[in-house]
Amino acid sequence: MREVCIISAGIGSRWGKYNGSLIEMMSEASLEAIDDAGTDKIDAVFVANMTAGRINNQTALSSALIDYLNLFPAVGATIENGPASGATAARIGYMAVLSGLHDIVMITGGEKMRVAPNPVITDSIATILHPEAEYIHGITLPSLGALLTRLYFEKYGITSEDLARIAIKNHSNGLKNNKAHIQKKISMEEILLSQEAKNKNPVIADPLHLYDMCPITDGAASIIMCSMDKAKEISQKPLIKFAGTGQGMDTMAVHERDDPIFFKAVKDATDQALSMAGLKREDIDFAEVHDAFEILEIAQLESAGFYEFGKAHLAIRNGETEITGRFPVNTSGGLKARGHPVGATGVAQLCEIVWQLRGEAGERQISNNPKHGYAINFGGFGNNVVATILSRV
Amino acid sequence: MIKMLQKVPIGYECKKCGKIHYPKHGRCLNCKNIYFKEVELPSEGILITWTKLKSLPTGIDKKFLFFGIINLNEARYIGQIDVENQEDIQIGMKLKAKWSKIRVIDNKDIFGFVWAKS
Repeated sequence: MREVCIISAGIGSRWGKYNGSLIEMMSEASLEAIDDAGTDKIDAVFVANMTAGRINNQTALSSALIDYLNLFPAVGATIENGPASGATAARIGYMAVLSGLHDIVMITGGEKMRVAPNPVITDSIATILHPEAEYIHGITLPSLGALLTRLYFEKYGITSEDLARIAIKNHSNGLKNNKAHIQKKISMEEILLSQEAKNKNPVIADPLHLYDMCPITDGAASIIMCSMDKAKEISQKPLIKFAGTGQGMDTMAVHERDDPIFFKAVKDATDQALSMAGLKREDIDFAEVHDAFEILEIAQLESAGFYEFGKAHLAIRNGETEITGRFPVNTSGGLKARGHPVGATGVAQLCEIVWQLRGEAGERQISNNPKHGYAINFGGFGNNVVATILSRV
Repeated sequence: MIKMLQKVPIGYECKKCGKIHYPKHGRCLNCKNIYFKEVELPSEGILITWTKLKSLPTGIDKKFLFFGIINLNEARYIGQIDVENQEDIQIGMKLKAKWSKIRVIDNKDIFGFVWAKS
């Protein structure tokens, strides 16, 4: 069977507020990936995006990107799979190369969200929820994050300090990432313990505070994939193998799951990716997880099986998930600090893994010469999840 | 799916295995059978988790709103909780379904069940 590599990664402009168009923003990330790959002979472009039709009044984004960058005769398609659009597009790109249909494929994710007021963005993202059982009632992603958090608090004794500890870590990592949206050091005192914390870090969706949630971000990310043989021909960089991919599903309505704390889709996706890569959980050196809400960093690590239920927050308290820890998590700053431009997130997670595996992550480089990195891109509220494992060859 | 003008929540019982579903599915989540009958769900339930949301989507003109998941024995429901103060809500409390306007979507009033103290 053909082996597939990622030969380049690009983010383009620093994430946050982008003043140009969505396509300009995605083209910057794409050009950075093209420069990194050393080739623009791309056969297919898969664009990951969720909300452009609704908030940017633009669809058919792959056609627009190919046209803008004159990537002809490349063919393209736009992939929408909610917050998991990015990793889904990478998975489809992987299948395209694996099958032999295409030799070189570019995956670009992008979302320009800061053009609409918060209630409109909140509502747009909430359209991924069950239309009759959740959406029409005003249920949003932050409300589901809060309902999960309270269940976790009740069952495992996790506290607001545990969530703040994750935010502090991810902010600290984001400070070392010059493409991160939020580049600001925070402390427990500042966001939770002091008198001013109530103003600075208000409760938004009880028990979630502002700093327990990712920001609304404009951003793009791009990777280029090709066959291993092609990569050996054209790439001067360490080869990064697309070693494993998995996708898990669950009921749309969260309340229909037997145990709303257990994300079966995370476990299934992770099991598949590990099996395909021929690896065990203990072989994974670091992870990028989908911390749209800081409770999700805990919940995903546990549902994925990296920690027993009720234990991840204890590992975090012990510093295990710091860049210098035994199992670094979200070295990029995660969704909390790097940001969460929905369609770009899953692609940016893979960019970070590529840079870490190549030893190109600069100040935030993991020191143990990592070989295998894992990402979880969490769609819906855990009903459509993609796990990816990349390995240094 | 909630039937307009009905006063109790409706669920969908699989005619083959008896599993109760809410919301509606095209095939049973347990046995994949496609035949269901509508059944009345209990209009009283127990709150299993809740939040007070201060950042609301379009179509809800309020400063904050409470939401929760309610256990109705063989099914669960997620929706708005009709309490004024945080001191009035707690896990384990009994709630009763009340038909009410829940939001506006595309300039249309949307009705559904909200859950008030039993």
